[in-house]
Amino acid sequence: MNERLRALNRFGLGARIGEVEELDAPRRWLHDQVDAAPSDDGGDDLPTVREIGAAFSGLREAQRSRSEDAIADARRGLRELVATEVSAAFARRVRSERPFVERLVAFWSNHLCVSASSKQQVAAFAGHYERTAIRPHVLGRFEDLVMASAKHPAMLFYLDNFQSIGPDSLAGRRSARGGNARGLNENYARELLELHTLGVDGGYGQDDVEALARILTGWTVAGVGPAARDGETMRFAFRPILHEPGAKTVLGTSYGGGSRRRGGGVEEGEEAIRDLCRHPSTARFVATKLVRHFVSDDPPGEAVERVAGVFQESRGDLREVAHAVVELDEAWTTRHRKFRPPQEWLVAVLRAFRVEEVPERAPGVLRQLRHSLWAPPSPKGYEDTQGPWSDPDALMNRAELARSIARPMRIRDPRVVLSVIEVEDGDPLHDALGDPSIPVRDRVALGIGGPTFQWR
Amino acid sequence: MDRRTFARGMCLGGAATFALPMVRFAQVPGDGKLVFVLLRGGFDGLAAVVPLGDPDYVKIRGSMAFEASDVAALEDGFGLAPGLAPLRSVWEDDELVVLHAMAIPYRTRSHFDGQAILETGLSRLQGSSDGWLNRLLQIMDGERSGIAVAAGMPRSLSGPHPVASWSPAQLGAVDDPYLDRLAVLYRADRRLHDRFEAALQLRELASGMESGGAGPQAGRGRVAPVMTAAARFLREPGGPNVAALEFSGWDTHANQGMAGGQLDRLLGQLSEGLLTFRTEMGDAWRDTTVVVMTEFGRTARPNGTRGTDHGTAGAGFVLGPRVARSAVVTDWPGLGERALYQDRDLNPTLDTRAVLKAAIAGTFDLTGAQADRVFPGSNDVRGLWTLMR
Repeated sequence: MNERLRALNRFGLGARIGEVEELDAPRRWLHDQVDAAPSDDGGDDLPTVREIGAAFSGLREAQRSRSEDAIADARRGLRELVATEVSAAFARRVRSERPFVERLVAFWSNHLCVSASSKQQVAAFAGHYERTAIRPHVLGRFEDLVMASAKHPAMLFYLDNFQSIGPDSLAGRRSARGGNARGLNENYARELLELHTLGVDGGYGQDDVEALARILTGWTVAGVGPAARDGETMRFAFRPILHEPGAKTVLGTSYGGGSRRRGGGVEEGEEAIRDLCRHPSTARFVATKLVRHFVSDDPPGEAVERVAGVFQESRGDLREVAHAVVELDEAWTTRHRKFRPPQEWLVAVLRAFRVEEVPERAPGVLRQLRHSLWAPPSPKGYEDTQGPWSDPDALMNRAELARSIARPMRIRDPRVVLSVIEVEDGDPLHDALGDPSIPVRDRVALGIGGPTFQWR
Repeated sequence: MDRRTFARGMCLGGAATFALPMVRFAQVPGDGKLVFVLLRGGFDGLAAVVPLGDPDYVKIRGSMAFEASDVAALEDGFGLAPGLAPLRSVWEDDELVVLHAMAIPYRTRSHFDGQAILETGLSRLQGSSDGWLNRLLQIMDGERSGIAVAAGMPRSLSGPHPVASWSPAQLGAVDDPYLDRLAVLYRADRRLHDRFEAALQLRELASGMESGGAGPQAGRGRVAPVMTAAARFLREPGGPNVAALEFSGWDTHANQGMAGGQLDRLLGQLSEGLLTFRTEMGDAWRDTTVVVMTEFGRTARPNGTRGTDHGTAGAGFVLGPRVARSAVVTDWPGLGERALYQDRDLNPTLDTRAVLKAAIAGTFDLTGAQADRVFPGSNDVRGLWTLMR
């Protein structure tokens, strides 16, 4: 096994031509990326919450005016905003000098995913979500990461918590009197337990889901949903008027009620989330996913134990956890290989040839490969195993895309592809790339569309 | 496209299977075809198959209760929601069984666990188990094959028996030296070569379809084009015996709607797809059974956002000429406050596997013992044998 290629491909986003020769100490290189000061969120030129909110109020006003032109304009504005975020985030992955950290961003973004295909608001906020809720915390504390996710409009919209109302809250009782009873939505609470923290076997029940949903009533987005006031910026807001009063019990711990003032407050949810993040099941669940991502579809038990141990002992310090993942011996053997999911494959192709400008059609390519940024089919996020990405249809898609990507490239010797992937001696790719009877652009396409490039 | 090309595409098992093309047909286990349609997301059985005759229905569904005049009546006080009303024609032909208060054998309200249980056909979660359709292919005799007509390989069809996949996005040319060379590279990768070989064959078949002017029609629902494609693979002599299809969008937590609403539009697309499929199958419909299921039903009461949350028992369908007769099959638990499961969901009284066993046995003339083997550890779950002819 080539340790340099392993560091660049398994932990990074794909080796660039010439990069292997520059890399002296592969593991050190990875640890250094984790220890370097956090980079900025890269959002200087990207939409702010205020601008995203303004785009929505623009759309609402246009709809009120019933002018078709105005509505079309407003819709276009929103679409452009989404496109800006997508290409900025993708460009970041393609150009990054800290590719391991980018991988962690993508990992946590998928762990706590939102899906732009669910609601317009989620689409508009998805890029902002990754930049401001995920990115700043991927080397920080897990509970801060989950908290930032819980309070971001993208998540509040995505899993419906913004419109969840305590049945016994002021607003809940008022709506019942008005004969239009609205109430609890347990969508977020359930996924917080099942997908973000404890995991489905983590030892909670339906009562815990419901209690957590009650605890989280009042966590909403200013400017929209129940209890909104006009002219507010769309950001997290806690609305006591929506919050379910009284004590609630999650996993044996009681929140709210008791000595607290009636109705509790935002701190009820904050305490509950921190407790869930510190639960031993969470350490195991998160460790399993990390090992699956960086080592094998079938995570080796010992590796999971080690990462879970570091997670638990460091109280969810994700910097420590990232160091531990790099030091997993299982990640540095030829026994385990991972199939590159489509986003990683496309990024690796672009990085290999040092393409700095992201092609305009990249989002369309990812859509075709069923792996658009921030658009998983369910709150579970995109799958992290080979199965869903390597069915016949998907392989053919990659083959065709490889051909169209290679067509405009000017490569003198297609054999450079051999320097960015781990190729065994007997691999027929050696012969194919050196075969002068095959057109050069087809040889490049064989390199990036062939099976060897699909693994890391 | 000739028949042999097709057969080759469908049989990735190795050279032995296409060495004897003429003998192959004698080995086919009857002409039965089984289509498993998974509605991912937990579709609301109570909104699809409406229990109008239940005295507690209107009370528990509240503002989301249908009026009798909205519903296409079946029997025993059950009726189809407006979007499913087109299936009345299948009912009248005695080819529609409606199942209610049915659930997987494991109590979970997780999409992912629920789908895994339904698709593996086991009574509890087990790491990387095969899908039950793949297990069905494993226990059947002779030449047989399966296909996923879906974007991606559904768990239900995953496992050691080689299967093909095709998604409607894939259409294109045939003669192509680049792809031939790529095939050589893929042959050296033991984990991927079957899959790439299948992709090449399916591509050939699809391009044949295209030139026949048979591409998916534009401007219709998303279900019908996929079901049309499935029919074209299945009706082919020597075509696949089983197919897995899936449609998502059923997770209606908010603004589920009534007639013409969010869920009803999906139901409309589903009916359209099923009817199109029946037509497209032509003569082969005679031997075809379609099973429609979901991972769980939804809460009996609406939630606070005009939708429903994850529940337990729900509805499903079996269609085809091999069903004994049209019927609503249910041991109806009722919707009274005390009848609900955990005071919130329709109580499960029918195990999905009892239905699946009957459907496969009736379609492929399997014995009860063979059907049991497709669902390990389910010997205590008797197949609903009377469902099928």
